[in-house]
Amino acid sequence: MDRVVDELGLVPEGGLMTLYFPCYESAIVFRVRSRDNKGFEAFDYGPLPLPAGTPLPTYEGTSTTVPADGVLPARSYTRDALTFPAPAFMSTSVFDKNDVFRLSKDDADTLFHVRLFVHPPLVRVEVRIPSNVPQYGFQRRRASVGVDTLWIGAKRGSAEAVHLPQVQTGYRFGNDAYWMDLRTFVRFVFGEYRVEVPRSPELVFDVLTKRAPSYWLTLPVFIRTDALEEVLTKCYGFPTVDGRPRLFKLYRADEREKALKDYAEIMKQLRV
Amino acid sequence: MRWLLTVRGEASPSASGASGDFTLGSPDVSNTFTWIRLERGLKAKVWARRLEGTTSFRLLVQFSPDTTASPPPTSTVDSAHLASPGALELEKRRPVVIQYSTGLEGVKFAYSDTGGAGKIAFVAEVEVTDEDE
Repeated sequence: MDRVVDELGLVPEGGLMTLYFPCYESAIVFRVRSRDNKGFEAFDYGPLPLPAGTPLPTYEGTSTTVPADGVLPARSYTRDALTFPAPAFMSTSVFDKNDVFRLSKDDADTLFHVRLFVHPPLVRVEVRIPSNVPQYGFQRRRASVGVDTLWIGAKRGSAEAVHLPQVQTGYRFGNDAYWMDLRTFVRFVFGEYRVEVPRSPELVFDVLTKRAPSYWLTLPVFIRTDALEEVLTKCYGFPTVDGRPRLFKLYRADEREKALKDYAEIMKQLRV
Repeated sequence: MRWLLTVRGEASPSASGASGDFTLGSPDVSNTFTWIRLERGLKAKVWARRLEGTTSFRLLVQFSPDTTASPPPTSTVDSAHLASPGALELEKRRPVVIQYSTGLEGVKFAYSDTGGAGKIAFVAEVEVTDEDE
Protein backbone atom coordinates (compact mmCIF):
# COMPACT_ATOMS: atom_id res chain seq x y z
CA MET A 1 0.00 0.00 0.00
CA ASP A 2 1.23 3.49 -0.79
CA ARG A 3 2.53 5.50 2.10
CA VAL A 4 0.35 8.53 2.66
CA VAL A 5 2.98 10.37 4.72
CA ASP A 6 6.75 10.35 4.76
CA GLU A 7 9.03 9.67 7.71
CA LEU A 8 8.29 13.15 9.07
CA GLY A 9 4.55 12.62 9.02
CA LEU A 10 4.16 14.99 6.08
CA VAL A 11 2.41 14.37 2.79
CA PRO A 12 4.86 13.76 -0.07
CA GLU A 13 4.64 15.52 -3.40
CA GLY A 14 1.77 14.11 -5.39
CA GLY A 15 0.09 12.74 -2.30
CA LEU A 16 -3.41 13.42 -1.14
CA MET A 17 -4.53 15.04 2.09
CA THR A 18 -8.09 14.95 3.31
CA LEU A 19 -9.22 17.57 5.79
CA TYR A 20 -12.41 16.57 7.55
CA PHE A 21 -14.52 19.30 9.13
CA PRO A 22 -16.84 17.86 11.81
CA CYS A 23 -19.04 20.97 11.88
CA TYR A 24 -19.99 20.40 8.23
CA GLU A 25 -19.78 16.60 8.31
CA SER A 26 -17.83 16.94 5.09
CA ALA A 27 -14.29 17.22 3.83
CA ILE A 28 -11.87 18.76 1.40
CA VAL A 29 -9.46 16.61 -0.54
CA PHE A 30 -6.22 18.31 -1.51
CA ARG A 31 -3.48 17.06 -3.75
CA VAL A 32 -0.04 18.26 -2.73
CA ARG A 33 1.51 19.55 -5.95
CA SER A 34 4.76 20.49 -4.31
CA ARG A 35 6.44 21.09 -0.97
CA ASP A 36 8.19 24.42 -0.74
CA ASN A 37 10.34 23.51 2.25
CA LYS A 38 11.52 20.08 1.25
CA GLY A 39 14.71 19.38 3.16
CA PHE A 40 14.16 21.94 5.89
CA GLU A 41 11.02 20.79 7.60
CA ALA A 42 12.26 21.27 11.17
CA PHE A 43 11.86 24.64 12.84
CA ASP A 44 13.42 24.87 16.29
CA TYR A 45 11.31 27.72 17.51
CA GLY A 46 12.49 28.01 21.10
CA PRO A 47 10.55 28.57 24.32
CA LEU A 48 6.82 29.19 24.30
CA PRO A 49 6.09 32.86 23.57
CA LEU A 50 5.21 33.59 27.18
CA PRO A 51 6.97 36.74 28.42
CA ALA A 52 7.90 36.95 32.09
CA GLY A 53 5.16 38.57 34.11
CA THR A 54 2.29 37.28 31.99
CA PRO A 55 -0.66 36.40 34.25
CA LEU A 56 -2.07 32.91 33.76
CA PRO A 57 -5.03 31.09 35.29
CA THR A 58 -4.48 27.92 37.28
CA TYR A 59 -6.35 24.63 37.52
CA GLU A 60 -7.25 25.61 41.08
CA GLY A 61 -9.10 28.70 39.87
CA THR A 62 -6.50 31.16 41.04
CA SER A 63 -3.95 33.02 38.97
CA THR A 64 -0.20 32.96 38.73
CA THR A 65 2.52 34.77 36.83
CA VAL A 66 5.07 33.55 34.32
CA PRO A 67 8.33 33.67 36.34
CA ALA A 68 10.69 33.90 33.36
CA ASP A 69 10.36 34.05 29.58
CA GLY A 70 9.02 30.77 28.23
CA VAL A 71 8.39 29.14 31.60
CA LEU A 72 4.96 27.58 32.14
CA PRO A 73 4.25 27.74 35.88
CA ALA A 74 3.03 24.73 37.83
CA ARG A 75 -0.72 24.12 37.55
CA SER A 76 -1.21 26.92 35.01
CA TYR A 77 -2.58 27.06 31.50
CA THR A 78 -2.90 29.67 28.79
CA ARG A 79 -6.40 31.12 28.74
CA ASP A 80 -6.01 32.38 25.19
CA ALA A 81 -4.50 30.44 22.34
CA LEU A 82 -0.94 31.37 21.53
CA THR A 83 0.35 32.11 18.09
CA PHE A 84 4.05 32.10 17.40
CA PRO A 85 5.62 35.42 16.40
CA ALA A 86 8.05 35.29 13.51
CA PRO A 87 11.75 35.32 14.37
CA ALA A 88 13.35 38.72 13.93
CA PHE A 89 15.09 37.90 10.66
CA MET A 90 11.77 37.28 8.90
CA SER A 91 9.37 39.44 10.89
CA THR A 92 9.22 42.22 8.31
CA SER A 93 8.69 39.92 5.36
CA VAL A 94 6.08 37.41 6.53
CA PHE A 95 2.36 38.10 6.18
CA ASP A 96 1.71 38.36 9.91
CA LYS A 97 4.70 38.98 12.15
CA ASN A 98 2.68 37.83 15.17
CA ASP A 99 1.89 34.45 13.64
CA VAL A 100 4.66 32.84 11.67
CA PHE A 101 2.31 30.25 10.11
CA ARG A 102 -0.48 32.62 9.11
CA LEU A 103 -1.03 32.97 5.39
CA SER A 104 -2.78 35.63 3.37
CA LYS A 105 -6.04 34.96 1.57
CA ASP A 106 -4.00 35.49 -1.58
CA ASP A 107 -2.09 32.31 -0.72
CA ALA A 108 -5.06 30.13 -1.55
CA ASP A 109 -2.93 27.38 -3.04
CA THR A 110 -0.73 27.14 0.05
CA LEU A 111 -1.20 25.22 3.28
CA PHE A 112 0.96 24.80 6.32
CA HIS A 113 0.79 21.28 7.72
CA VAL A 114 2.19 21.82 11.19
CA ARG A 115 3.25 19.20 13.70
CA LEU A 116 4.12 20.88 16.99
CA PHE A 117 6.29 19.21 19.60
CA VAL A 118 6.74 20.80 23.00
CA HIS A 119 9.31 19.91 25.63
CA PRO A 120 8.80 18.75 28.30
CA PRO A 121 6.25 16.48 26.66
CA LEU A 122 4.27 16.56 29.89
CA VAL A 123 2.84 19.88 28.65
CA ARG A 124 -0.79 19.62 27.53
CA VAL A 125 -1.67 21.03 24.13
CA GLU A 126 -4.92 22.00 22.44
CA VAL A 127 -5.41 23.34 18.92
CA ARG A 128 -7.85 26.14 18.25
CA ILE A 129 -9.12 26.96 14.78
CA PRO A 130 -9.68 29.92 14.76
CA SER A 131 -7.50 30.82 17.68
CA ASN A 132 -10.25 32.57 19.65
CA VAL A 133 -12.92 29.87 19.46
CA PRO A 134 -13.20 27.01 21.99
CA GLN A 135 -13.87 24.00 19.84
CA TYR A 136 -13.83 20.93 22.05
CA GLY A 137 -17.00 19.67 23.68
CA PHE A 138 -18.38 16.57 25.32
CA GLN A 139 -21.83 15.01 24.94
CA ARG A 140 -23.00 17.26 22.15
CA ARG A 141 -21.28 20.19 23.80
CA ARG A 142 -23.17 19.91 27.06
CA ALA A 143 -19.73 20.36 28.55
CA SER A 144 -16.84 22.30 27.15
CA VAL A 145 -13.44 20.69 27.46
CA GLY A 146 -9.94 21.73 26.59
CA VAL A 147 -6.55 22.35 28.04
CA ASP A 148 -8.24 24.12 30.95
CA THR A 149 -10.12 20.99 31.99
CA LEU A 150 -8.13 18.30 33.73
CA TRP A 151 -7.96 14.72 32.48
CA ILE A 152 -9.78 15.33 29.18
CA GLY A 153 -9.63 17.63 26.23
CA ALA A 154 -5.94 17.89 25.47
CA LYS A 155 -2.95 15.89 24.34
CA ARG A 156 0.46 15.87 25.92
CA GLY A 157 3.59 16.95 24.12
CA SER A 158 2.38 17.37 20.58
CA ALA A 159 -0.35 18.63 18.32
CA GLU A 160 -1.07 18.60 14.63
CA ALA A 161 -2.96 21.13 12.58
CA VAL A 162 -3.31 22.50 9.10
CA HIS A 163 -3.14 26.26 8.88
CA LEU A 164 -5.55 27.47 6.23
CA PRO A 165 -4.99 30.84 4.55
CA GLN A 166 -6.21 33.84 6.52
CA VAL A 167 -7.49 31.79 9.46
CA GLN A 168 -5.51 32.33 12.61
CA THR A 169 -4.78 28.99 14.20
CA GLY A 170 -3.64 28.98 17.81
CA TYR A 171 -2.49 26.58 20.46
CA ARG A 172 -3.18 26.48 24.17
CA PHE A 173 -0.82 24.91 26.68
CA GLY A 174 -1.18 23.63 30.20
CA ASN A 175 1.14 22.36 32.93
CA ASP A 176 -0.84 20.16 35.30
CA ALA A 177 2.18 19.11 37.38
CA TYR A 178 2.37 20.39 40.92
CA TRP A 179 5.24 22.55 42.14
CA MET A 180 7.23 22.34 38.90
CA ASP A 181 7.55 25.44 36.71
CA LEU A 182 8.51 24.01 33.34
CA ARG A 183 11.10 25.49 31.01
CA THR A 184 9.60 24.95 27.58
CA PHE A 185 10.91 24.42 24.11
CA VAL A 186 8.94 24.11 20.89
CA ARG A 187 9.94 22.38 17.69
CA PHE A 188 7.78 22.47 14.61
CA VAL A 189 7.96 19.93 11.84
CA PHE A 190 6.02 21.46 9.02
CA GLY A 191 5.24 21.18 5.37
CA GLU A 192 4.56 24.22 3.24
CA TYR A 193 2.38 22.64 0.62
CA ARG A 194 1.31 23.91 -2.77
CA VAL A 195 -2.08 22.34 -3.17
CA GLU A 196 -4.97 21.89 -5.52
CA VAL A 197 -8.28 20.15 -5.25
CA PRO A 198 -8.38 17.20 -7.67
CA ARG A 199 -10.88 17.77 -10.43
CA SER A 200 -11.84 14.12 -10.62
CA PRO A 201 -15.11 13.35 -8.79
CA GLU A 202 -14.22 9.67 -9.01
CA LEU A 203 -10.95 10.20 -7.17
CA VAL A 204 -12.59 12.28 -4.45
CA PHE A 205 -15.26 9.62 -4.02
CA ASP A 206 -12.64 6.90 -3.78
CA VAL A 207 -10.70 8.91 -1.20
CA LEU A 208 -13.73 9.65 0.93
CA THR A 209 -14.87 6.04 0.84
CA LYS A 210 -11.32 5.03 1.82
CA ARG A 211 -10.66 3.19 -1.42
CA ALA A 212 -7.84 5.50 -2.45
CA PRO A 213 -4.96 6.31 -0.08
CA SER A 214 -4.97 9.77 1.43
CA TYR A 215 -3.67 11.28 4.64
CA TRP A 216 -6.77 11.97 6.69
CA LEU A 217 -6.76 14.72 9.28
CA THR A 218 -9.86 15.62 11.23
CA LEU A 219 -9.55 19.28 12.13
CA PRO A 220 -10.90 20.26 15.54
CA VAL A 221 -13.57 22.45 14.01
CA PHE A 222 -16.84 21.63 15.71
CA ILE A 223 -18.26 25.15 15.68
CA ARG A 224 -18.87 27.16 12.53
CA THR A 225 -17.18 30.55 12.34
CA ASP A 226 -17.32 33.38 9.85
CA ALA A 227 -13.55 33.41 9.58
CA LEU A 228 -13.40 29.84 8.39
CA GLU A 229 -16.42 30.06 6.13
CA GLU A 230 -14.99 33.11 4.41
CA VAL A 231 -11.88 31.15 3.48
CA LEU A 232 -13.83 28.14 2.30
CA THR A 233 -16.19 30.14 0.13
CA LYS A 234 -14.26 33.21 -0.98
CA CYS A 235 -10.74 31.86 -1.03
CA TYR A 236 -11.37 28.29 -2.21
CA GLY A 237 -14.67 28.94 -3.98
CA PHE A 238 -16.81 26.27 -2.36
CA PRO A 239 -20.49 27.05 -3.03
CA THR A 240 -22.91 27.62 -0.20
CA VAL A 241 -26.16 25.91 0.70
CA ASP A 242 -28.41 27.52 3.29
CA GLY A 243 -25.58 29.84 4.18
CA ARG A 244 -23.01 27.16 4.90
CA PRO A 245 -20.14 25.98 2.71
CA ARG A 246 -20.90 22.94 0.62
CA LEU A 247 -17.80 20.78 0.88
CA PHE A 248 -17.40 17.17 -0.19
CA LYS A 249 -19.99 15.20 1.75
CA LEU A 250 -19.17 11.68 2.87
CA TYR A 251 -21.54 9.55 0.84
CA ARG A 252 -22.12 5.88 1.38
CA ALA A 253 -20.44 3.49 -1.02
CA ASP A 254 -23.78 2.72 -2.65
CA GLU A 255 -24.41 6.41 -3.39
CA ARG A 256 -21.68 6.68 -5.98
CA GLU A 257 -23.70 8.30 -8.77
CA LYS A 258 -25.24 10.85 -6.46
CA ALA A 259 -21.83 11.66 -5.01
CA LEU A 260 -20.13 12.04 -8.39
CA LYS A 261 -22.80 14.46 -9.53
CA ASP A 262 -22.53 16.50 -6.34
CA TYR A 263 -18.74 16.62 -6.44
CA ALA A 264 -18.71 17.61 -10.11
CA GLU A 265 -21.01 20.54 -9.40
CA ILE A 266 -18.80 21.71 -6.57
CA MET A 267 -15.62 21.39 -8.61
CA LYS A 268 -16.95 23.71 -11.30
CA GLN A 269 -16.79 26.58 -8.84
CA LEU A 270 -13.50 25.92 -7.10
CA ARG A 271 -10.61 28.34 -7.38
CA VAL A 272 -7.86 26.16 -6.02
CA MET B 1 4.37 10.52 25.95
CA ARG B 2 7.66 9.88 27.67
CA TRP B 3 9.64 12.49 29.52
CA LEU B 4 12.98 11.73 31.09
CA LEU B 5 13.15 14.06 34.07
CA THR B 6 16.62 14.37 35.55
CA VAL B 7 16.55 15.49 39.16
CA ARG B 8 19.41 16.35 41.48
CA GLY B 9 19.45 17.00 45.18
CA GLU B 10 22.15 18.15 47.56
CA ALA B 11 22.36 18.37 51.32
CA SER B 12 24.94 19.17 53.96
CA PRO B 13 24.24 17.04 57.01
CA SER B 14 26.01 18.28 60.11
CA ALA B 15 26.29 15.06 62.08
CA SER B 16 26.12 11.31 61.84
CA GLY B 17 22.68 9.71 61.84
CA ALA B 18 21.06 12.73 60.21
CA SER B 19 18.04 12.46 57.96
CA GLY B 20 15.95 14.79 55.79
CA ASP B 21 14.36 15.41 52.43
CA PHE B 22 16.33 16.44 49.39
CA THR B 23 15.30 19.64 47.66
CA LEU B 24 15.22 18.83 43.97
CA GLY B 25 16.35 20.74 40.93
CA SER B 26 16.15 19.86 37.25
CA PRO B 27 17.30 21.42 33.98
CA ASP B 28 13.67 21.25 32.80
CA VAL B 29 12.28 22.98 35.87
CA SER B 30 13.02 26.59 36.78
CA ASN B 31 12.28 26.29 40.49
CA THR B 32 13.16 23.81 43.20
CA PHE B 33 10.72 21.29 44.60
CA THR B 34 10.49 18.36 46.98
CA TRP B 35 7.63 16.19 45.76
CA ILE B 36 7.08 14.96 42.25
CA ARG B 37 3.32 15.14 42.15
CA LEU B 38 1.60 14.55 38.85
CA GLU B 39 -1.95 14.24 37.64
CA ARG B 40 -3.88 11.01 37.49
CA GLY B 41 -3.15 8.68 34.64
CA LEU B 42 0.58 9.29 34.68
CA LYS B 43 3.38 7.06 35.90
CA ALA B 44 6.78 7.97 37.28
CA LYS B 45 9.51 5.39 36.85
CA VAL B 46 12.66 5.91 38.86
CA TRP B 47 15.52 4.51 36.82
CA ALA B 48 19.21 5.23 37.27
CA ARG B 49 20.59 6.90 40.34
CA ARG B 50 23.99 8.27 41.18
CA LEU B 51 24.96 8.88 44.77
CA GLU B 52 27.96 10.92 45.79
CA GLY B 53 29.15 12.32 49.07
CA THR B 54 31.99 13.18 51.34
CA THR B 55 30.29 10.98 53.89
CA SER B 56 28.21 7.84 53.73
CA PHE B 57 24.41 8.03 53.55
CA ARG B 58 21.33 6.13 52.51
CA LEU B 59 19.13 7.45 49.69
CA LEU B 60 15.43 6.71 50.16
CA VAL B 61 12.79 6.80 47.45
CA GLN B 62 9.58 7.59 49.29
CA PHE B 63 5.99 7.40 48.14
CA SER B 64 2.93 9.08 49.54
CA PRO B 65 -0.62 8.22 48.49
CA ASP B 66 -1.77 11.68 49.62
CA THR B 67 0.59 14.61 49.53
CA THR B 68 -2.20 16.94 50.65
CA ALA B 69 -2.39 15.32 54.09
CA SER B 70 -0.53 16.99 56.92
CA PRO B 71 1.88 15.38 57.24
CA PRO B 72 1.67 13.19 54.15
CA PRO B 73 1.74 9.47 54.95
CA THR B 74 4.98 8.20 53.49
CA SER B 75 6.50 4.81 52.81
CA THR B 76 9.94 3.97 51.54
CA VAL B 77 9.74 2.01 48.30
CA ASP B 78 13.42 1.78 47.48
CA SER B 79 16.78 2.69 48.93
CA ALA B 80 20.44 2.73 48.06
CA HIS B 81 23.44 2.99 50.34
CA LEU B 82 26.64 4.90 49.74
CA ALA B 83 28.76 2.98 52.22
CA SER B 84 31.81 5.22 52.09
CA PRO B 85 32.79 8.64 50.71
CA GLY B 86 32.88 8.65 46.93
CA ALA B 87 30.30 7.88 44.27
CA LEU B 88 27.97 5.02 43.46
CA GLU B 89 26.11 4.55 40.19
CA LEU B 90 23.07 2.34 40.07
CA GLU B 91 21.44 1.52 36.77
CA LYS B 92 18.28 -0.35 37.51
CA ARG B 93 17.17 -3.08 35.16
CA ARG B 94 13.64 -2.58 36.44
CA PRO B 95 12.51 0.79 37.68
CA VAL B 96 10.53 1.71 40.75
CA VAL B 97 7.11 2.54 39.29
CA ILE B 98 4.76 5.05 40.85
CA GLN B 99 1.23 5.05 39.43
CA TYR B 100 -0.68 8.29 39.83
CA SER B 101 -4.28 7.15 40.28
CA THR B 102 -5.85 10.05 42.12
CA GLY B 103 -3.43 12.86 41.41
CA LEU B 104 -2.74 13.16 45.13
CA GLU B 105 0.24 10.83 45.08
CA GLY B 106 3.81 11.98 45.20
CA VAL B 107 7.34 10.66 45.23
CA LYS B 108 10.27 12.30 46.96
CA PHE B 109 13.88 11.55 47.74
CA ALA B 110 15.25 11.59 51.26
CA TYR B 111 18.48 10.72 53.03
CA SER B 112 19.22 8.98 56.29
CA ASP B 113 22.00 7.27 58.22
CA THR B 114 24.63 9.81 57.35
CA GLY B 115 28.12 8.82 58.43
CA GLY B 116 28.99 12.29 59.67
CA ALA B 117 29.10 15.92 58.65
CA GLY B 118 29.75 16.53 54.96
CA LYS B 119 28.16 17.06 51.60
CA ILE B 120 25.92 14.51 49.94
CA ALA B 121 24.14 14.54 46.62
CA PHE B 122 22.30 12.32 44.21
CA VAL B 123 21.04 12.38 40.62
CA ALA B 124 18.09 10.30 39.47
CA GLU B 125 16.45 9.72 36.13
CA VAL B 126 12.69 9.73 36.47
CA GLU B 127 10.73 8.70 33.43
CA VAL B 128 7.28 10.28 33.32
CA THR B 129 4.87 8.55 30.98
CA ASP B 130 1.18 8.10 30.27
CA GLU B 131 1.73 4.81 28.51
CA ASP B 132 0.91 1.42 29.97
CA GLU B 133 4.35 -0.07 29.51
